[in-house]
Amino acid sequence: MSEQPVRVAQLSCGPEHSGVQKEIYDAAAMVNAEMFFPDVALSDIQSAYDEFGLEARSADLKLAIARAKALVDGSVDADAVFIATCFRCSEAAIVRNELRHYIHNNSKLPVVSYSFTERTTSGTLLTRMEALTTIARRRALLAREKQVGITLGIDSGSSTTKAIVMKDNEIVGTGWTPTTAVLESAETVVNSALEEAGISMSDIEAIGTTGYGRFLIGQKFNADLIQEELTVNSKGAVYLADKQRGEATVIDIGGMDNKAISVQDGIPGTFTMGGICAGASGRFLEMTAKRLGVDITALGPLAMKGLSKTVPMNSYCIVFGTQSLVNALAEGHTKEDVAAAACRSVAEQVFEQQLQEVDIKEPVIMVGGTSLIEGLVNEMGRLLQTEIVVPHHSQYIGSVGSALLASGFIKDR
Amino acid sequence: MANKPYKPDYTGTITKYVFIESPDTTPQTLAIRAYELSEGVMIKETCFGLQITGKPEEVNNIIIQLRNIDPTHIFVKDRAFPPGDPRRCRANLGGARPGYFGHEFEMRLIKYISKGLLESDSKKGYNKDILSKLKKKSTDKLPAEKLQKIIETQEP
Amino acid sequence: MVKVFIYPSTSLILSDMVERFGHNPLGAAIAIRERIQTPGFDSPPLQMTPEDPKKGLKYAAVEVPSGVRGRMALFGPMIEEAEAAIIINDSDLAFGCMGCARTNELVKFSIRKRKEIPILELKYPSSEEEGIAFVGAIKEFLEGLSKNTGGMEE
Repeated sequence: MSEQPVRVAQLSCGPEHSGVQKEIYDAAAMVNAEMFFPDVALSDIQSAYDEFGLEARSADLKLAIARAKALVDGSVDADAVFIATCFRCSEAAIVRNELRHYIHNNSKLPVVSYSFTERTTSGTLLTRMEALTTIARRRALLAREKQVGITLGIDSGSSTTKAIVMKDNEIVGTGWTPTTAVLESAETVVNSALEEAGISMSDIEAIGTTGYGRFLIGQKFNADLIQEELTVNSKGAVYLADKQRGEATVIDIGGMDNKAISVQDGIPGTFTMGGICAGASGRFLEMTAKRLGVDITALGPLAMKGLSKTVPMNSYCIVFGTQSLVNALAEGHTKEDVAAAACRSVAEQVFEQQLQEVDIKEPVIMVGGTSLIEGLVNEMGRLLQTEIVVPHHSQYIGSVGSALLASGFIKDR
Repeated sequence: MANKPYKPDYTGTITKYVFIESPDTTPQTLAIRAYELSEGVMIKETCFGLQITGKPEEVNNIIIQLRNIDPTHIFVKDRAFPPGDPRRCRANLGGARPGYFGHEFEMRLIKYISKGLLESDSKKGYNKDILSKLKKKSTDKLPAEKLQKIIETQEP
Repeated sequence: MVKVFIYPSTSLILSDMVERFGHNPLGAAIAIRERIQTPGFDSPPLQMTPEDPKKGLKYAAVEVPSGVRGRMALFGPMIEEAEAAIIINDSDLAFGCMGCARTNELVKFSIRKRKEIPILELKYPSSEEEGIAFVGAIKEFLEGLSKNTGGMEE
């Protein structure tokens, strides 16, 4: 890569002593970024800390505060900010959240925060680091608001694989299948999308890939753009919802992990990605549907007919969540109420675990396969006290975002 | 990413920082003297003094002789890394390594330590009241009884 | 020579005094140097690996943050090995290895629990007079350490 590395400022407490600083360096290196520690003097640390007004006791957190202030004041240049502290440290969690707010509100720097354990790997950090560098490096690409020409977007997700063919800013072909073998699933959806569009592969002018399998299928299809799902999905969401300007929040409850992204003019500002347990994911809803003997597509309408409050359920863990579900059915609760409770439980988990980490700004746009489950959208709207926007083709969000962004590469071919 | 094997450099050596904060001796004087004594030991000059790397006995021997130059103004500390190690280098980190700030903080107080060392051989000893203040864990608070008395003596 | 654990373990002043008065300072540099000089898998910058927080489970349970357990893997063995200790209590501006307040609370407690070893606790001096008392007390403490037992001389 001949591009200049993206300079990511690290504000952290604990990664060196947790043995995971190397993982941060490795994830950065994979996306041609370099981590650095904003330079401050001892006197800056004391004055910045006093001025910030948060009485942290840990010296490394005081140092992080001073470094954040140097970034906001502009005395140190950076392209992006990575905030990392130990998981389960409450003192650090408070500082981490406040610094994220502070940087988001007082600078244009993209920022991601993460709480690590000694088990955190570079693979886990890669998508976040890739999104950070994309936002820093590809602002021009992310500013694209219209799809042009004929492009193909493929989203190789953990649960499902999707493809979209777009022509002159319209969706003309779609493909969808549960993910089995990554490449075969991709071929299947690409073929259906092309067939529906009545277009042959040779007509495709540019290809974009995203999702877990993005590198593998990107290589196979010789993609022009291989991009993580955080930036692609937020771009796709504001495009489909026609909210490309101003603020927005994008929520994507996925099969394996959830994304919550605070967006400004289509570009992610802060985001979180994760999920403590599958209990807070689409996977739990799939299991619920199976146990209730209904198709996943019927779960949403079923939940809309039920009352979520009548069944106690907390799916912090998928095993315990399923236990609650089985118990509720055994106690004679209706399928409708159980379906509604499962939706509420997932919405609550996402709300408690992730939405606290981003600033919720309206409109709130829900995307991904789970956004088609009305009951879930309804519960999320109730928790956030807002009308949630679910755009058309929301289950194809990654593919749409990829096809849209890939059209920026047409003239390069 | 796959684990890369790690082969350490400078095994079996130690590195020590030598700080000098003196009105009479400059880091340059210290360095010249250290080079004279070095005999194959690695000496690196820094803004605050020196870093000396070598076999433990050789390094310790040089340190003893260097201390003699200005005993109350030379301070020594172990360093985990060999000098110029890229993992701790300011140029690579973007900012100072965390330990630097700790040194910066202590160097502000070092004049009091120098004074203490200068006086430590005198027969006068030190003031026990001052020591007990240094040994107290928390700041003095007004005892409740005293506060009550103050309140009682106030005019209504 | 007596092994004296120093707190803050990154302290130049304490490291110098212990060595100057003839003893062996146990501080962060010693524990990190051991890792820096041991072959294994590359893990910059400190050559601390995810194994360290696991070793730290000896000193703190799994619900304790990894950074605390990792640091305890550095300090724990030295505290066990120490024959005496000096603590500076108002060392709020020591970073890196001493940068975590929770670890520092546990480190101090672990030292104080070792009631059989002599421990001196002080604050940093902020005047010449205090400097004289500070150095005087540390010198007295160190000169009183028995070379054989690590206890105070009779």
